[in-house]
Amino acid sequence: MRTCWEIRLQSLTGSFPAGILQVRVGLNKPSKRANLFPCIKCEKKEEPFEHVSVERPPYYSYMDSTSGQLEPASGARASIPGEEYWPEGTASRVRAARAPEPTGTSEGSPSYGKTPGSRRKKYKTAAAAESSQVSVEPSDPVVPEIIEEIMEDPKDFSSDYVIYQTKFEESEEAGYELDKKFGRPHPFIDPKVKKPMEEPLTSEELWWNWRKPEKEQWSRWQRRRPDVETVFLKAMAETGQVKLYDEHPTLTETSLYRARRHLFKEERLKAEQERLERIGPMAYYSEWVKAWKRDTSRNAIQKHFEETGEDENTQLIEMFCHQTDREYRIMMGTDTRIRRDPLAMRMREDQIKQIWGGLPDEVIDYRGPDFHEPTPNMLAHLKEHGKIISREELEKILAKEKTEELELLQITDMDDAMARAVDIGENEEDEEDNEADTEEEEEKITRNWSVLKSTPQLKKSKAKPKKEDPMSLEEAVEDSENLTDFLMDFEEDE
Amino acid sequence: MAASSVPLHNVGGCFSYPRREREYHHGRGWSPPPRARYPFRPINASVETPFPLFQPPPLQQSPSQLEPADPDFYKIGYVRSMRAYGIEFKEGPDGFGVYASKDVEPLRRARVIMEIPLELMLTIRQKQPWMFFPDVVPIGHPIFDIINSTNPETDWDLRLACLLLYAFDRDDNFWQLYGDFLPSADECTSLLLATEDDLSELQDPGLASTMRNKQQRALEFWEKNWHSGVPLKIKRLARDAERFIWAVSIAQSRCINMQVRIGALVQDANMLIPYADMLNHSFQPNCFLHWRFKDRMVEVMINAGQRIKKGDEMTINYLNGQQNHMLMQRYGFSSAVNPWDLIPFSGNAHIHLDSFLSVFNISGLPEEYYHNSQLADNGDNFVDGAVIAAARTLPTWSDGDVPPIPSIERKAVKELQEECRQMLAQFPTTSEQDQKFLDSMPEARRTLGTAIKCRLHRKLFMEKVIQALDIYQERILF
Repeated sequence: MRTCWEIRLQSLTGSFPAGILQVRVGLNKPSKRANLFPCIKCEKKEEPFEHVSVERPPYYSYMDSTSGQLEPASGARASIPGEEYWPEGTASRVRAARAPEPTGTSEGSPSYGKTPGSRRKKYKTAAAAESSQVSVEPSDPVVPEIIEEIMEDPKDFSSDYVIYQTKFEESEEAGYELDKKFGRPHPFIDPKVKKPMEEPLTSEELWWNWRKPEKEQWSRWQRRRPDVETVFLKAMAETGQVKLYDEHPTLTETSLYRARRHLFKEERLKAEQERLERIGPMAYYSEWVKAWKRDTSRNAIQKHFEETGEDENTQLIEMFCHQTDREYRIMMGTDTRIRRDPLAMRMREDQIKQIWGGLPDEVIDYRGPDFHEPTPNMLAHLKEHGKIISREELEKILAKEKTEELELLQITDMDDAMARAVDIGENEEDEEDNEADTEEEEEKITRNWSVLKSTPQLKKSKAKPKKEDPMSLEEAVEDSENLTDFLMDFEEDE
Repeated sequence: MAASSVPLHNVGGCFSYPRREREYHHGRGWSPPPRARYPFRPINASVETPFPLFQPPPLQQSPSQLEPADPDFYKIGYVRSMRAYGIEFKEGPDGFGVYASKDVEPLRRARVIMEIPLELMLTIRQKQPWMFFPDVVPIGHPIFDIINSTNPETDWDLRLACLLLYAFDRDDNFWQLYGDFLPSADECTSLLLATEDDLSELQDPGLASTMRNKQQRALEFWEKNWHSGVPLKIKRLARDAERFIWAVSIAQSRCINMQVRIGALVQDANMLIPYADMLNHSFQPNCFLHWRFKDRMVEVMINAGQRIKKGDEMTINYLNGQQNHMLMQRYGFSSAVNPWDLIPFSGNAHIHLDSFLSVFNISGLPEEYYHNSQLADNGDNFVDGAVIAAARTLPTWSDGDVPPIPSIERKAVKELQEECRQMLAQFPTTSEQDQKFLDSMPEARRTLGTAIKCRLHRKLFMEKVIQALDIYQERILF
């Protein structure tokens, strides 16, 4: 682990406002420059100066326990962790930064693409090679040294002195730069360097305009799914009804043609309505009554009215009596069995499948796993399984229920007081007595936590045998197998 | 050049990248490669000729011929936050190479020797859509349409060439400076720049015709898109076809194929990476490329556990598992010790695989044969990539524990040798003649030299196979 002590000072270049001493913190060898620039030194010399710091450290440096090296008391940073603790990539960056800069100058100069291979050493002829070897070898030991040299010079440049430069160079700007320097109003771009604006590319030339997406994309999610409208439009384009710019309709085209279709539909509907108004309902609807051969113009209707006194509606009804079922369905447009042929398109199977997933005329097979069974007579089948009952049976049951209700009501009237009594449920006899009002009592028994007791059905089945034979407590105890009989069975299902 | 024919390995950024290949100095008796130091590394052929641009060096190549590259070469990268650690760029007669400037201990972790930021590279995606980063996007430039009109799967080199030429034209682009260090048209060994004579010197009609096709294709592309009516913006990118073809050859040979992840997107990109393309090729590389996702840099890293001495060359495997003609097509160099080279044997002769492998102490799975020097004495330098290629390409049989029958075995060996000799005889020249030819004309055109070397390597390979079979016959234990 090393602590990096090297401080590299780089020279600042740039234009400084005139009139101010240029301060140059320079990578200067003190030996060269000390003569030129005066060093600012303390006025008082040789006076012991006092430490007037707030806290005076008892030591200037100490042996650091972490690094094992001498550390200054002040200004020390926390120790830099070793390479194992560096974030990833730091090691390679550090290595790249530490790599020594290549030194050495080359004799050739770049041709900037004109003559490739111009800076190679050519060894074409043996004679030339030999001669070049002779001349090259003496320089051989020199050149590797230069390359292999680690850059030592910059390290020497670190200097502790800040050097002030009293002389300053004349700034060589004029015009635009001068204006900029002084803050005078100036254009943003230097007019000398300014390039004329180029024409922006048209959308055709732009290579990122909306072209067909490439087949190979990064993920499947980028694939655009076919839209109803898009498929429609594509089919329309294929049959030639509509002209598209390209193979696939774009979103714009899709919406455009959808709007157009909507408008056409509206137009057509309006036209139809207008026609209806124009020629009258008889003439209009006679389109769907093939059997009506009579004259349907307004005059004829008028005449008929005058003759027979049947007004338009009656005549219409008369006409519709001649209409067949099929014609009616066609007129209403509600039968799926009759193919409606919208004039817009006829789509291919694959196009239909694309949007609706399946054919319109497809016969869906509802046959189940027991297809081989003949379809039973549903009614008899359901009756047999008890799923439905006949009307008479239903009436019977209803009647029975009614009578039961009446009975119950009568009984409860008598034993109102008794019924209101809250049954704690300790004695079995209570149930026997109140068998008739079991239902009502059960509802009133709220303190009773017994599931058994609060479910009348269960109670009924259990209470029935007891009803026949009301037992006293002793008999009940004798009758029971053991005392567990009197335990509340919450889980048992009877 | 169809990318489909060259299987480019995208191993998560770790790609093989041929700059040059090293071969052994045949005349001299090899100094043993530093194999013994890392015994378990799968050693294929270590034929290493330092040549930064797919040019095998002349045999007199010695380290003293290398001199440091122009200091500006590293400086222009350094200023743009590219870094090189512990390496030097040196130049030899055959071009650039990257050498270690200090020893490296074998560490468990791969060490970074170079890191190159994304801004310096020219990248283009291998598939549609064309996404590129950084913004060398030539949006307003007509080269955009040219690049867009190509098919990214097959015309990747043309696209990269167009991008490279465009980058040369941009005023603030790094490639204007770096282009001076790329091999010029007369230094480039790619066969795209070869003339008809050079192609005929190849003595390989298949390869010659392939190269002719490629040349034709590049030429047609240039003619189509650089006809006389094009705007000046395009015209000045490549005034003549030679410049364009040179750009295509640069793009082909220096392109690195990596799978890079930028943000959420993982893409296969063809990249021209400035300093990493100066690395040469070896069948036993000591470096590999890695994409650092965090700050979008390409790192050249030394293999983990690899010991490097000062002055060792840093190499990468450009193209794994391909024969010589593939290397020649794409990168413009060939190797006599390509462990993946093939010889088309016909006939029924088969030798016993296990005994062949044991004679030469080759171990490993067929995909990764290597010379197990622990088994062998240290003095055995015979086994190199050619022998491993022989182990792969010779027709062999292996049937569990069934031992080879001596007589049949010997007969098979003799037959195979005879076949090799016949194939060698079919060449118009012998390898010695080729070698003499090369020595006699050192100022030959690069492409000519490359072509001759290609056929030389092929013959050397076959001779080595014959030699190996001889040794096999001697050493086989019955």
